[in-house]
Amino acid sequence: MLSELLQGIETGGLLIIQDSCSYSGRDLLRSFIAAALNREEEVHVLCFDVSEDELTDGLKPPYTQRLHVHNAYPDPLGWTDHPAFAVQQFRVEDLTDLVKQASQPKPATLVIDSLSWVLRHAAPPAVCRTLQQLRKGGAVRAVVALLHADMHQRGTVGSVCHLASSLIAVAPGPKGNEAVAKITKRSKSGKVAQDEETFCITEDLTVAVLSRLPEARPNGSEEEQADPTANLTFNLRLSESELEAKQKLTLPFVFSKEKKTALLHPGPGSGRILYEPDANDDYDQEDPDDDLDV
Amino acid sequence: MFTELNSILSSSPDSVTPGEFILVSDRQSDASFLIHHFLSFYLRSRCKVVFLGLVQSFRHYSAVSQRLGVSLTQAKEKGQLVFMEGLKESLSVLIPQADNTESQAMNFLRDPPVGLRSLYEFVRSGAVGSGRAEDGAEEWGPPVLLVDDVSVLLSLGVDAGAVLDFSHYCRAAVCSQMKGNMVMLVRCNGEEEEEEDGEEGAEALLKGLTHQCSLNLHVQGLPTGYCKDIHGQVEVCWKRRQGDGPHTQRNLFQYKVHDKGASFFPRGTSSAVL
Repeated sequence: MLSELLQGIETGGLLIIQDSCSYSGRDLLRSFIAAALNREEEVHVLCFDVSEDELTDGLKPPYTQRLHVHNAYPDPLGWTDHPAFAVQQFRVEDLTDLVKQASQPKPATLVIDSLSWVLRHAAPPAVCRTLQQLRKGGAVRAVVALLHADMHQRGTVGSVCHLASSLIAVAPGPKGNEAVAKITKRSKSGKVAQDEETFCITEDLTVAVLSRLPEARPNGSEEEQADPTANLTFNLRLSESELEAKQKLTLPFVFSKEKKTALLHPGPGSGRILYEPDANDDYDQEDPDDDLDV
Repeated sequence: MFTELNSILSSSPDSVTPGEFILVSDRQSDASFLIHHFLSFYLRSRCKVVFLGLVQSFRHYSAVSQRLGVSLTQAKEKGQLVFMEGLKESLSVLIPQADNTESQAMNFLRDPPVGLRSLYEFVRSGAVGSGRAEDGAEEWGPPVLLVDDVSVLLSLGVDAGAVLDFSHYCRAAVCSQMKGNMVMLVRCNGEEEEEEDGEEGAEALLKGLTHQCSLNLHVQGLPTGYCKDIHGQVEVCWKRRQGDGPHTQRNLFQYKVHDKGASFFPRGTSSAVL
């Protein structure tokens, strides 16, 4: 499913890459940028988290004419007099103007690195509204955003990811180079598909999907269970007649239903307890300790 | 500076990798010995150092650096070290005197919601000053910002978000623009499993800074408890690409702090054990 997403996001789609401190999703984001450039799409990048050089490192020159980077990294809050792009400009009108100014009539793909910066400075409902309006607007074909899930409250992350048509949550994999991606894809018909894949990203920003974790795991484990009666110096196996005898055996305290009722409800003729209190036994129903000499 | 740590980080005073943001973090432990290491390391590399000493006095850092072989007073006189003594400067804001001009850098004490913009301006002017070569003044290398420590700003009423903005701006100015380095100390008191509210507090600050940094040195006590000969463990995580292959690399070492330094060794190879 990861490869399908890399080959193209449907129009009006929102792809969110969720990462955490233990594994950065930025390399996967750069792979998506490289894949979009290879498909000859116009790509606009809002660069907040890292410098432009770091983000475009590894993207090959012939394609970078179609890449427009709006560098908000040096001054995202407008502390100097002339910021290139500030986080306050993350609104539908400003973004639409920005995209329309630079590119050809073809709608562009908007890449946001990272959405966490925007969420720290704008209210989550406003950000969600902006994202939704961008998708429906028409100036932008699709949006790809990186979100640091551990920097926000779970509610915020949940609300933003609910808008996404595809969600990729990355985590470190079993070996050093590899990572695990949990992919959720929501189609327009409402169907949700989920998958989990291990991948690694090469130097030239191509994603190599290494394995798809098998879903039919319970069946496999039963067959793989080791046979404990094998490879012993004594015999633990049972022959046919021994198996039959074992199954016929009744256990001492396992009663059948009839025996149980017979024991619990004694009929006439079964033993009865007759009690006649002695002089010393001060049998008082109310106070069992009445006969104590204290 | 600690020679063993230099070999672990593959760095030496003669060749300093530019543009690094080194985050020193600790959890229920004290990682300030690493700040002393980086201070003496960068002074020896002849870099211009801007030090925001928010938790201790100048005399304290001077005394420890003396033991590591570096004189802070001399460095300050020569113009290599720009030292902001947070404790003294905060007094000028809290107890304004007629003749004493209020320090602009700490004006967030007066009004915390304003944020750390003035502190950033102070850092910027301190770091940029290295460009001007006055007559007789020495030329120093790329600027380095050291902050000890960033978590104390949270207790002074500043938002975790404002501190993250401050570290972002410092990184953009010092690391990316001026090709210098940055070292920050951040401290956490709680256990890691505590589910914080996500956007407030020391945990959020630690997570945000971990996302921004390129090298993280995380200091903790030993998981097995107190030990006389081993003072704790350091986890070294390189976040950016080192060599080929975009992967994060983690190494775990144990350390012991001495009078004149600290020794680092792989787990289980302490001199007390072998």
